[in-house]
Amino acid sequence: MSDVIKLDKLPEKVILPLKQHDGIACAPLVKKGEEVIIGQKIGDCEGSDLAYVHSPYCGTVASIEDMPGPGGKRVFSVVLEPTECTASIEFLPEKNAPPSRLMEIIKEAGIVEYYEKPTYLALKPGARIDTLIMNATFPLITRAYLPFLDKVLEGFKLMLEAGGISKGAIVLRADDKESIQAFKNAKFDGKPLTVAPLIGKRHADYYFEDADADIIVLVAGKKTYTPTMMNLLASDVMGRRIPLGYTPSDVHLTVCGVKSAKAVYDAINEGKPYLENAVTVTGAVNAPKSVIVRFGTPVKDVIEACGGYKGEPGKIIINGSMGGVAVYTDEVPIAKNTTGIVVQTKNEVLRDEATECIHCARCVDVCPINLLPGRIAVMADCGMYEKCGEYYALSCIECGECAAVCPAKRHLVQLIRYSKLQLQKMNEAKNAEVTE
Amino acid sequence: MTQFTISPPPHRRSKVSVKNLMYGRIMALLIVGIASFTLFGAPAIVNILAAIIGAVGIEFVIQTAFKQKLTIADGNAIYLGLLLALICPPTLPAWMVFIGGAFAVGVGKHAFGGMGSYMFHPSLAAWVFLSLAWTQDMLPGSVPIASGFSDLLYENGAGFLTDVSPILIILTGLVLIAMKFIEWRIPLSYILTTVVLGLVLGDPLSYIIQGTFLLGVFFIATETATTPVTKNGRIIYGILCGVLTVLYGYFSGNYVWGTLYAILLSNAAAPFIEVKTLPKPLGGVVNE
Repeated sequence: MSDVIKLDKLPEKVILPLKQHDGIACAPLVKKGEEVIIGQKIGDCEGSDLAYVHSPYCGTVASIEDMPGPGGKRVFSVVLEPTECTASIEFLPEKNAPPSRLMEIIKEAGIVEYYEKPTYLALKPGARIDTLIMNATFPLITRAYLPFLDKVLEGFKLMLEAGGISKGAIVLRADDKESIQAFKNAKFDGKPLTVAPLIGKRHADYYFEDADADIIVLVAGKKTYTPTMMNLLASDVMGRRIPLGYTPSDVHLTVCGVKSAKAVYDAINEGKPYLENAVTVTGAVNAPKSVIVRFGTPVKDVIEACGGYKGEPGKIIINGSMGGVAVYTDEVPIAKNTTGIVVQTKNEVLRDEATECIHCARCVDVCPINLLPGRIAVMADCGMYEKCGEYYALSCIECGECAAVCPAKRHLVQLIRYSKLQLQKMNEAKNAEVTE
Repeated sequence: MTQFTISPPPHRRSKVSVKNLMYGRIMALLIVGIASFTLFGAPAIVNILAAIIGAVGIEFVIQTAFKQKLTIADGNAIYLGLLLALICPPTLPAWMVFIGGAFAVGVGKHAFGGMGSYMFHPSLAAWVFLSLAWTQDMLPGSVPIASGFSDLLYENGAGFLTDVSPILIILTGLVLIAMKFIEWRIPLSYILTTVVLGLVLGDPLSYIIQGTFLLGVFFIATETATTPVTKNGRIIYGILCGVLTVLYGYFSGNYVWGTLYAILLSNAAAPFIEVKTLPKPLGGVVNE
């Protein structure tokens, strides 16, 4: 089994950002000096894209102020001084609840998907949804949840029930043998799961018919579908192409993560709000592993639990070395949208200088959606944004592959992102003119 | 308190850099140069050195005069000079090769905007310049004909420096392709088109498979700045090179010049091919 530990040591201070996903920030419900118990709701908000914040620790509120957040920016946060007490609110499990009540519980628990959207919105986006895809292509995260596989599957089923979705597909990476084996051994409702590879034009629909099951496990290619690759995931798994500017819900699909399935199980069968997460720690630490961490715990304590830094640390990256954010201090907390920490030593930190493009076309060869990243970047650099649009800059999913292979070390992702921003602004301006 | 670096993603990049790519190609061509030394002796080395000195020297002069950052260390000027020396006959006086090297980098590369911006291969441009300026000196002493495998291994009748050992060019080219320093699409489509068309028209392969042609296939035609970046575009570019090579070679009987002129003409068509083969993004585009 995987190397998963639970972090029990109390940190010196706990920082709970009041905005832990890409949505509306919550307003604090507590005041300085107040006592807080486990599971207590400390952040409330109103609106359509919300995730309530609950305290995973028992302690006293030290302050409510702007603190460094895991996104690299300062976030309005509640700072707690945790104590040893284990008092908690009463956890009320509600089994066999009707779908509308299930949805209510999921919303109350403040569960957030890996792509920064609250789960209740992901399950009911307004359009008709026929298939829920569970993205389990993050090998380390999936492995961290293998010990709770039953709960994950149960949670997945509850999500289907809550959203009124008829079918569910779990997607794994082809080279993640350990997880594939675990899913093969797993029993669900007394029956073994269908585990099938995605080959050629055989997509999920074929296996749903073939296996006559509501939940199947699919083994996709050797690709990890990051949050920006939702449309690619949907088209690879279901064979439904999603044009630019549309989301998976437009073709009746929705995506969830492994973590949220476990959280849904906890919320419904144990009555617990979303309080903890598995975080994978890799890179220059003495014992890289997955750690189950309560939200608000500073990164420093997580790294200590993994044996501390190996060598002199130079960079801490939250959420993966391809698209993650390098933070300036190791006191940033783990939040709901944190999945991994990568530590690099001083020597590993890149110090390349960007030079001229030599048109070697390596970026073209690696681009998963057939763009010409080098060309778009050159035109973005010159301010030719309309031309970027003609080269489909808006389709870019910002996976970072092009910048990683670039021999001239150009900042392709940033340049393309900039052109996208300008194009969106130009489109808005055009639309505003039309309405006038 | 520990200081942490912050920077935009990605935080991990491949180790391959422009410098690696250039020195990889230089190493491959040096092997070819050493082979030519065994046949031609000192003039081969003198010409190679003269071309490199000319190329690097003019780069130094231009970048100093325009107060630019010196980029001699990235190996591009050395590579262009070396390549030019290899497609000249050993009988060419060293000062002419020196001027050729200076023309390649001074006009072919820097006048067009430097690294990555030139639209014609600088070494080819310099070769054309030398051929037009000193036509008599640029004619090779002999024209090689590969009558057997031993000629592929070691060609005693070599005209240009590069003609000495065709098999060495194939081997170094394949190694570079395996290391992904050279992209496989252009060499494959180029060589296939030429061989098939040559056979169809009835020209013997012994005329075609020569050192200069192979150098063109693996090194000159694959110059990244002068080729289309799209995947399909690269295949079309290779086919165009092949067709033009055979056209020139079939009607003049000279596949050596055919190769070099074909690549130069294809360079001119590269931007057009690229624009016409723009790939559609995955998922398609919505027409509003």
